[in-house]
Amino acid sequence: METELAQANCIYRPWDLAQPAVTPEAYYLRRREFLRVFGLGVAASALLPPGIRAESATLNDSLNPSYKLDGVKLTPEELVTSYNNFYEWGLAKNEPKERANHGWKTRPWSIEIRGLCANPRKIDVDELIQLLGPIERRNYRHRCVEAWSMVIPWDGFPLAKLIDLAAPKTEAKYVRFTSFFDPENCPGQRSNDFPWPYSEGLTLEEARNQLAFMAVGLYGKPLRNQNGAPLRLVVPWKYGFKSAKSLAKIEFVTEQPITLWNQLAPNEYGFYANVNPNVDHPRWSQKSERVIGAGFFSGKQPTLMFNGYEKQVAHLYAGMDLRKNF
Amino acid sequence: MRALYMNLVFKILGKKIFALAVLVGVGVWLLAIPAFTGDLGANPVEKLLHQSGEIAIWTLGAVLSLSPLRVLFPRSWLVNALNRHRRIVGVSACVYGLLHFGFHLLYEGDVQAIARGFAKPFVWFGLGGLSILVILAGTSNNFSIRKLGGKNWKRLHRLAYAAAALLIYHQAIAGKGHWNVARWLLFSLLALQTARVTKMLFTRLRCINRPISGLPAVTTAP
Repeated sequence: METELAQANCIYRPWDLAQPAVTPEAYYLRRREFLRVFGLGVAASALLPPGIRAESATLNDSLNPSYKLDGVKLTPEELVTSYNNFYEWGLAKNEPKERANHGWKTRPWSIEIRGLCANPRKIDVDELIQLLGPIERRNYRHRCVEAWSMVIPWDGFPLAKLIDLAAPKTEAKYVRFTSFFDPENCPGQRSNDFPWPYSEGLTLEEARNQLAFMAVGLYGKPLRNQNGAPLRLVVPWKYGFKSAKSLAKIEFVTEQPITLWNQLAPNEYGFYANVNPNVDHPRWSQKSERVIGAGFFSGKQPTLMFNGYEKQVAHLYAGMDLRKNF
Repeated sequence: MRALYMNLVFKILGKKIFALAVLVGVGVWLLAIPAFTGDLGANPVEKLLHQSGEIAIWTLGAVLSLSPLRVLFPRSWLVNALNRHRRIVGVSACVYGLLHFGFHLLYEGDVQAIARGFAKPFVWFGLGGLSILVILAGTSNNFSIRKLGGKNWKRLHRLAYAAAALLIYHQAIAGKGHWNVARWLLFSLLALQTARVTKMLFTRLRCINRPISGLPAVTTAP
């Protein structure tokens, strides 16, 4: 698995910086030594975005200061990449890491943009990233419908850029996201009873919101398979299951799309699925959440309306009964 | 020679200490060792919660399959050896269930969260099933059998099936897709019970047809 990951990182991607433009890693890692010599160490490390300080980022992006999330601790990378709900690879959260790294190729990978738009196309994921780049980093809260949460530094680009590229027609009201379908390599898609492939949806207005993000990496490295390589949706004000992984198709449609979890259990998983501490899941309360990595006896915190993104998204649902449209 | 070995194996299988070792061993293997080696993953309390629940329900499944197996294979040494352990297997299911409940309290974290949990039917089913198991474990001693009388005791302990129904439902709705796991337990228990009832009916019919001679004589090889 390690070697595969290393190989994946070695592949030349057109959206990477040209080699000569990159500061050699050794110098990069010694920059603090240099600063310390000049007595500026403390001041400088406070200026550097936290994600960049320790990592030698292979994606060469930088943190968008609007999404820094001050005073919030990032979930360790090891936990973000080993605790995943990715039912295509099994129901247990450790299984995606164990099973998605045995011969499942997430490069080359093509994505189809289709439906009611002026510029439909089938395009290689790296070409798409190059077309929509440069990529940026955003620290986002991640709240699972199962009442646990993480804070993840994603690397990617705003979904709005992709929508502008596609140029949806006026009849288009919703965006449907469809994940890969590969039962030959993917045990879950052969054996358990879900209507694969995974599908999710947003209103066009939601998809155009500044928060809606297409992730191609996390912690400055290309997305690991278990996190939804090579390209996934990230909508941080909604429960995690809305952020569909390993996308194969993005479509513009008129009708509200049928989504996997909504189809399976409409009383438990609504189409909107906005994080809301006042609307319980039928089986558990959504008032608080367990913070992954916060320890054995501590680590519960109150859940925030729209996962703390009320300012950015509340207007999308003005006048809507959120108890009914959960 | 082979018979001698088998005899020894069944003797060991029939030993109380063997059953105890297996039942405690499962908990040590799946709960204690991972807890002490930090091997519980990103969400340790959740892992303990789920793991202990799984152990409890499968242990309950094991004890409920023992008596149908005895009816179906009355001469099997293996089945008879294992049937000696019904009491301890049943009590273990209850103990793991209580442990699971303890982890639930720890998982919820504070009194308010625990109170909110008690408002959920999902929790009622678990708690209902566990309450039955506690009553049955509490009366699974010779004193209780004498006090209640064999017939009443048996009737009371039929509640184990009600507990299984409640708890399998609890397990099935515990998570997305859990029905895929729970159904195997449900289907195998149903199959065993159906086979047992069918066999008992047949035996009864045979007895009615031949009231005088009774069971056919068993001849043993010299």
